[in-house]
Amino acid sequence: MSEFRRQHPVAAVTQFLTVVRQNLVPIAIFLVVGTRNTDNFFWYFFAFGVISTLILGIVGWLRFTYRVDGDELQIKKGIFVRKNLYLTKDRIQVIDITEGILQRIFGLVKVEVKSAGSGTSSATISAITRDEALELRSLLRGEAKKAEEESVEIEEVSESDVLEWRLSGRDLLLAALTSGNFGLIASILGAISGQLDQFITEENMYYILDKVPGLGNTSLFVGVFILIFIISYLFSFIGVVFQYSDFKVEKKEKELHITSGLLERKHITVPFNRIQALRFVEGIFREPFGYGMLFVESAGFEQKSNERSIVLLPFIKKSKLNKFLSEFIEEVEQPEKTVTPPERAFLRYLRRPNYILILTVLITWWFWDFGWIFFGFLIPATFLGWLRFNDAKLSFNQKMMTLQYRVLAKTTAFFKKNRAQVSELTANPFQKFGDLTTAHITVASGAGGKAFSVMDLDQKDAEDILVWSTGDTYEQQA
Amino acid sequence: MTELPQTRINENAIKAWRISNTLIGLLIYVIPGLLYIPAMYGDISVIIPIVAGPSAFILHLLLIFVFPKIRWNRWRYDVNEKGVDLYRGIVILKRTIVPVNRIQHVDTKQGPVYRKFGLSSISISTAATTHEIPALDDETAAQLRGMISELVRKAKEDV
Repeated sequence: MSEFRRQHPVAAVTQFLTVVRQNLVPIAIFLVVGTRNTDNFFWYFFAFGVISTLILGIVGWLRFTYRVDGDELQIKKGIFVRKNLYLTKDRIQVIDITEGILQRIFGLVKVEVKSAGSGTSSATISAITRDEALELRSLLRGEAKKAEEESVEIEEVSESDVLEWRLSGRDLLLAALTSGNFGLIASILGAISGQLDQFITEENMYYILDKVPGLGNTSLFVGVFILIFIISYLFSFIGVVFQYSDFKVEKKEKELHITSGLLERKHITVPFNRIQALRFVEGIFREPFGYGMLFVESAGFEQKSNERSIVLLPFIKKSKLNKFLSEFIEEVEQPEKTVTPPERAFLRYLRRPNYILILTVLITWWFWDFGWIFFGFLIPATFLGWLRFNDAKLSFNQKMMTLQYRVLAKTTAFFKKNRAQVSELTANPFQKFGDLTTAHITVASGAGGKAFSVMDLDQKDAEDILVWSTGDTYEQQA
Repeated sequence: MTELPQTRINENAIKAWRISNTLIGLLIYVIPGLLYIPAMYGDISVIIPIVAGPSAFILHLLLIFVFPKIRWNRWRYDVNEKGVDLYRGIVILKRTIVPVNRIQHVDTKQGPVYRKFGLSSISISTAATTHEIPALDDETAAQLRGMISELVRKAKEDV
C-alpha cells in the first residue's frame, strides 16, 4: 500500500452524522425555538446549516487520504488547516475496528489507530472496507505475511480452537434487567420534563384530571413518577441489550479481543501487557443473585476518560470468575496475608455514612416541616456502614494484590505487584487517635491513575502494604 | 521501611511559603467581595458578607503565619534503593511510598518565590501519578534528582 488512498464515500456522511450527534442538544433547542417562528426565515437558516455541514463532510472526505509507507501510517487531512499525521509502527498500541450502523449497511468498518504518548490524537479512518481494514492492521502490526491467514481465522472463528467466552442470551437478559442504569436515565428524564413547562398549563392539567376518573393531585404526581420510572427502566434495558448483544471475548497470543453490540459492533483490542488491573463490580441489583461485571483498567495509549475502564465481561456469576481469570488472563493465587479493618474500626464504619446524611436531613428540616421523616434513612445508612466494614479486605502475596471495598456496589480489584504504582497511607486526626489509617493504592489507567482505597486499617497492618509495594519481605501470617 | 522517613526539607521553605501564601491568599477575598453584591441589593442578609470578610482575613492570617510552619515541621522524606518515602500533611497525615522501579522520570522546578530563596522542588512521576518534594536548596535538589535517576537506572538494569 504505497499510494495515498481515499476512504469510502460513506465517510462523508458519517462525518455529517458525527457533527449532528455532537450537537444534538443545540439542534434540538434550535428546532424547538425555531418552529415557533411563523415566517420561513428559520427554515432557510436551517437548510443553510444542513447543506454547509454536508459540503464540509464531502470536502473533508476528498481531503482525507492515507497510506502505509514502510512501517509508517501516513494520514493527510483537514479542510482549512491541513494536517499530516505520521504514526510509526512501533508507536502504535492498539488498532480498533468498529462497525457502525451506517458502515454495516455498506459492509464497511471504522478503524481507530491509537498510539503511545500524549499530544497526538488517535488517527481515525471512518469508512473503509473490511478487507482494507484487515490489510491495514496486518501491515501495521508487522504481520504482512500472515495477513491472509488472519483474515481466514477471523471469518471462521467458531471453527478454530481460539479460546472464547460468550454472553448467553439468558445472561444478557438478566444483565439488562439488573443494570441499575435507570437511576441515571430517570434523572435525565426528570430534567427534560422540567423543560416541558409549556405543556403543563393549568388548562391541560384540568383536562387530564377531568378525563381520568379518580385522579387527584397526589395520584397524578405519583403516576408521573411511576411513568418516568418505567420509561427509564425500559431505556436502560434496551440500552444494555443493544450494547452487549452477541458479546464475546477471544484470547489471542498477545491480546484479548472484545466484540459486542447489536447495531454498532465494537471491536476492542486489549494487549496483555497493557492490563493494569481488573475490577469486579457487584452492583446492588446484581449482588443478591451472585452476579457482577468485570472491567479491565488499561494504560499506555491515549484514551478518552470513559474508555479507560473497558468492560471485559458485562455479566458473570461470581463463582465462575476465577475460572475465567485463570483461563484468559492469569491464575489468581492464594494470598499469603489478609488485612481487614480491626474491631475498633467497626463503629467508625457504622457512623461514617451518617455524617453527610444527618447534615442533609437537618437542612431539609429547616426548609420543610416534615423533613425529620428522612431520619428514617439512618437505618439503611448504618446498614451500609455495616456492609462496608464486612467487605473491606486487602490480601496479597509476593506477586499480586486483591483489594475489596464497597461504596454502594461491592468492588474487588485484582492487580500484580509491579502494576501498583504508588502506595499511600492517610490518617485524619480521629483516625490518628485510634491508630487507624486508610490505604490507597494507585494503578495506572489511561493517561492518569486510578486509586483503590480501603479505610480504617490498623496502622501496623497497613505498613505491611508499604513494605509489600517495595518488594521487601513482610511478616507472613501463620 | 515501616519507620517514618527522617530527612527534613530546607527551613527557608517557611519564609517562601509565607510569601507565596500572602499572594495566593488575596484570592480568598473574592468570595466576601462577591457576596457583598447580592447583600447590597437586599437579596441576602447583610450579616453574611460582614461575617465572611473577617473570616477570610483570619484564614489569610492562618495561611501566612500558621500553616507554613506546621507544614514544614511535618514534611519528611527519604530516598533509598527501595523507593522514595514521603511523609506530610497539615490536618490529614499522608505517607506515600513510590517504589524505585515504578519511577518514570524526575524533574526539578523553581518558581519566582523559590528562586529568591535559592530553593527548588523535585517532582517524581510514575505511570499514574506525580509527587513533589518541595523546597530543597538548589544543590540538594540537583543531587537528589541525580541520585533518584541513578537508582532508577540501576533498578531497571536488575530487572
